Amino acid sequence: MEFPYGKAPFWILVLAIITGTAMMLTRKFTSAPRPDLVFIVFAPRHYEAYQKLIPEFERTHNVKVQLQQIHQRPLQTRLQSALLANTEVPDMVEIMNPFMGAFMKGPLKDVGFVDLTDRIKAENLDKRMVESRFSIWSSRGRIFALPHDVHPAALAYRRDIIEELGIDISKLETWDDFVKVAHEKIVKDLDGDGVPDRYALDMPIEGTSFFPLLLLQRGGRYFDAQGNLTMDSEVTVEMMIWYIHQTRGKDRISFPAGEGQPFYKALSDGLILFNFVPDWRSKVFEQDAPNLKGKMALMPLPVWEKGGKRTSTWGGTGLAITEQCKNKELAWELAKYLYLNKQDFSDRFAMLNIIPPLKEAWNLPAFQVPNEYYSGQKVGQLYAELAPETPPDYVGAYYEMVDGKTREVLIDGGIYYEKYGDKGLREYVKEKLRLKAEHVRRVMNRNVFLRQQEVEDSNITRGAVR
Amino acid sequence: MKNAKYKAYVKRTPYMFLAPYICLTCIFFLYPLISAVILSFQQTNGPKSRAFVGLSNYAFVLTDPDFRKAVSNTVIYAIFSIFLQLPLSLGLAMLLNTAKDKTKGFFRLIIFSPNLVGQIFVGVIFSVLFVPRYGLFNRFMQDLLRWGLENRWLGNPSLVLPAIIITALWMYVGFNMIYFLAGLQSVDKSLIEAARIDGANAWQVFWNVTLPAIKPVATFVVVMSTIGSFQLFELPFALLKGEFGPSSSGLFIVSYLYSMAFRAGDLGTGAAVGWILTLMIMAISLAQIKISGTMKEGQ
Repeated sequence: MEFPYGKAPFWILVLAIITGTAMMLTRKFTSAPRPDLVFIVFAPRHYEAYQKLIPEFERTHNVKVQLQQIHQRPLQTRLQSALLANTEVPDMVEIMNPFMGAFMKGPLKDVGFVDLTDRIKAENLDKRMVESRFSIWSSRGRIFALPHDVHPAALAYRRDIIEELGIDISKLETWDDFVKVAHEKIVKDLDGDGVPDRYALDMPIEGTSFFPLLLLQRGGRYFDAQGNLTMDSEVTVEMMIWYIHQTRGKDRISFPAGEGQPFYKALSDGLILFNFVPDWRSKVFEQDAPNLKGKMALMPLPVWEKGGKRTSTWGGTGLAITEQCKNKELAWELAKYLYLNKQDFSDRFAMLNIIPPLKEAWNLPAFQVPNEYYSGQKVGQLYAELAPETPPDYVGAYYEMVDGKTREVLIDGGIYYEKYGDKGLREYVKEKLRLKAEHVRRVMNRNVFLRQQEVEDSNITRGAVR
Repeated sequence: MKNAKYKAYVKRTPYMFLAPYICLTCIFFLYPLISAVILSFQQTNGPKSRAFVGLSNYAFVLTDPDFRKAVSNTVIYAIFSIFLQLPLSLGLAMLLNTAKDKTKGFFRLIIFSPNLVGQIFVGVIFSVLFVPRYGLFNRFMQDLLRWGLENRWLGNPSLVLPAIIITALWMYVGFNMIYFLAGLQSVDKSLIEAARIDGANAWQVFWNVTLPAIKPVATFVVVMSTIGSFQLFELPFALLKGEFGPSSSGLFIVSYLYSMAFRAGDLGTGAAVGWILTLMIMAISLAQIKISGTMKEGQ
């Protein structure tokens, strides 16, 4: 008997049936049931740390937890897409600041993560942890993630060269002192070719990470606590002018050393002497530039004015539980187990140099251990002292856009400065910031969901008043 | 009776063959296409929140300075693709076409090989080559021209686009060269010989014999390069480490679409950008084909 459509379609059909059956069988035999909790992290070092801790949790709770690691950018976009498409998502995720903002575009009920505010308050964690750290995981007064860290920022410097140059670190109290010393003693053309071979700071002209860090330290920010856009404030203008002066023109004190190997080469060569180093980065230095062991040291950031903050912050991780999680209580237990585990704080610090936001943990002996890399300084103690001063940052749905737009003005302002100097710079920067802020407000005002939420909120308020 | 049954069976057969294609097209092309049109008139926030906003997404995109910047960057890149990359590809193809058979294969492989690695890989490698002071490209420029050691190729808004064009040049010249080489090898040798006997010089042979003969290939390459340029995304994305460069100097139309849809989470605006891009590509490609056809008629 012949197949009516000929030999070729017959064999295509046979092949389709065989492969289809094989796929179904393979799926049946290989697909394991979903564990009780699926937890995704982006930081490799967190992954390693949790791998050691989770078996104990599984044993005590008689559950199965699956831990996965994905790079932070795809984690954010995939999670966002999965939440949008209402497809399967993990039960718990660690999110990097400021990407949380992308999930807060609509009404609070649509955030996609469990509102942890009541749980956090019930455990008194809002008091036991550094208060300012909740700001980056909050929207409209509700907290959606448990903070993993504080990430206070300090300056790491080449102690050996600074001592050689006869610079007294204790005299670098304010940024004005710092710039003065940089001009007098640090920025130098050592080989006479007309190009400086030594700079004070590593700072990119486009301001990535460092501009917001300095702005926060100075008391400025992109959004206020109520979510209002404040990118065009007077503090931002002042900060921008200062940053432009230090990164552009012949009097600049900084060099954009980039990252990875070129950065460490610049650091090792003594091309740059000071770097912005939050706690997590201090460990990265130890691992990526081991040749500088004993030659480095840490100091608090110089202040903007006497009595001002000696630190700022850069980065941050938070643990969120998705709304789709079927066992939210178990997820919360795991979150507390991982984030409030005192033994883990010591191990974590030894492995990552990261200070926990839980204040009562700072007295642990692990934080008092001298660090040979940083010339015997007690790194944990130094960061713990700075941690309570860490300024709050308010991250909304449009944070990335605002950061990008602000740094566009920084670049345009820098180009203006290189052409015309200080004349008209302030007015130029101010006007550019105003225009960019106007653009962002226009984008924010397009968001129909936030507008609806505002109307609902105002109706509730009116109802309450009546 | 049997005859009627057979006739119906024969009549049905082509539809049976077409059925899988039509089904797949409906599921993977038609349905998403219609969904994308509907989506472009909506604002979304999660699976449950969709709001009809009419033409607001289109109006916003067309008046957004960032979109204008993305279009201008894309057009500049496309112009360089056509007027710098393609002549270089053609030149290399002509050189290889005249080379001896033994060396031809070797050089063809060497020049084509950058295309064997992915755009992401090329982007990552070039991001290291362009580092100020220590980057190989900066060192090379310094040795060659006594200029460029401290250039911030990826940090200076006026240098970002040239950096992307240089990277793309390295990657795609060899790829387009292969098309031109195939075209050149199919040119009738007797026509070239006849032209030479008639006293034509090298330029005249190229202009009057070779170029008309490879015109269909050239049109294809120009259209494909233009479409490729308008769809540029991975290379600048990897080169600029997932950002769009200072002052959006590395922002292209697809990057803008990506940032709207997946960073801002506004799928509706992303869909609107997609449709605007589709219309732009269609218009430009049709114009190019038309111009090329008109030239043919004129000859």
